[in-house]
Amino acid sequence: MRKFKYFGFFLIGLVLILLYFFVNPSETNYYPKCPLYVTTGIYCPGCGSQRATYELLHFHFLGVLKQNLLYILGIFILVYHLIVSLLNTVFNKKIYNYLYHPKTPWILLIIILVFWVLRNLPYYPFNLLAPH
Amino acid sequence: MDQKSPKNYLVESILVTIFCCLPFGIAGIVFASQVNSKFAVGDFEGALSASKSAKKWMTWGLILSILYYVIIYFLIFGLLGITLLSVGNN
Repeated sequence: MRKFKYFGFFLIGLVLILLYFFVNPSETNYYPKCPLYVTTGIYCPGCGSQRATYELLHFHFLGVLKQNLLYILGIFILVYHLIVSLLNTVFNKKIYNYLYHPKTPWILLIIILVFWVLRNLPYYPFNLLAPH
Repeated sequence: MDQKSPKNYLVESILVTIFCCLPFGIAGIVFASQVNSKFAVGDFEGALSASKSAKKWMTWGLILSILYYVIIYFLIFGLLGITLLSVGNN
């Protein structure tokens, strides 16, 4: 059952990677749009992530930053967590995972909320944070 | 303190926040912070219940986004199919 689950995740991931590699979200209307943006016109902290995925799969790292600055933060946190957990479980190391520090979630939450407000301001330089 | 901290779902919540469009992940992050702070003062039961709440919010954010995207895809491809069929009939 567990193997089946991982195979399912792998298959979905592969389909998504192929989809976002070949179809540019900026040039087609077939991708679903963010519900918050469609209803209110407000960018959420996740807006631009689909376009950023397309840019990342084509190794346009500046494009990723332009679409969603926090995309990099998400990937960094995911990689950090995976590496620390891998070292601790497989190699029996005792590395402290900073994601379990009492202050870390608050700092990340403040970063996300500030980013959310700033990217909706229509003034330079904050409008650079909005997805293009 | 030799007990292990319950899973705080911080990584999952942040990924839901940044990669799905629903801000449900933000509730997950708030509960993740409670897991960490309660565990730090030795409140294991409180940390465990915060962990469960974090998991709940994170999962609902994920499920709702998936549902939203699936419904949108069905709408788009359904409409596309109907359009193609009606063009073919003319």
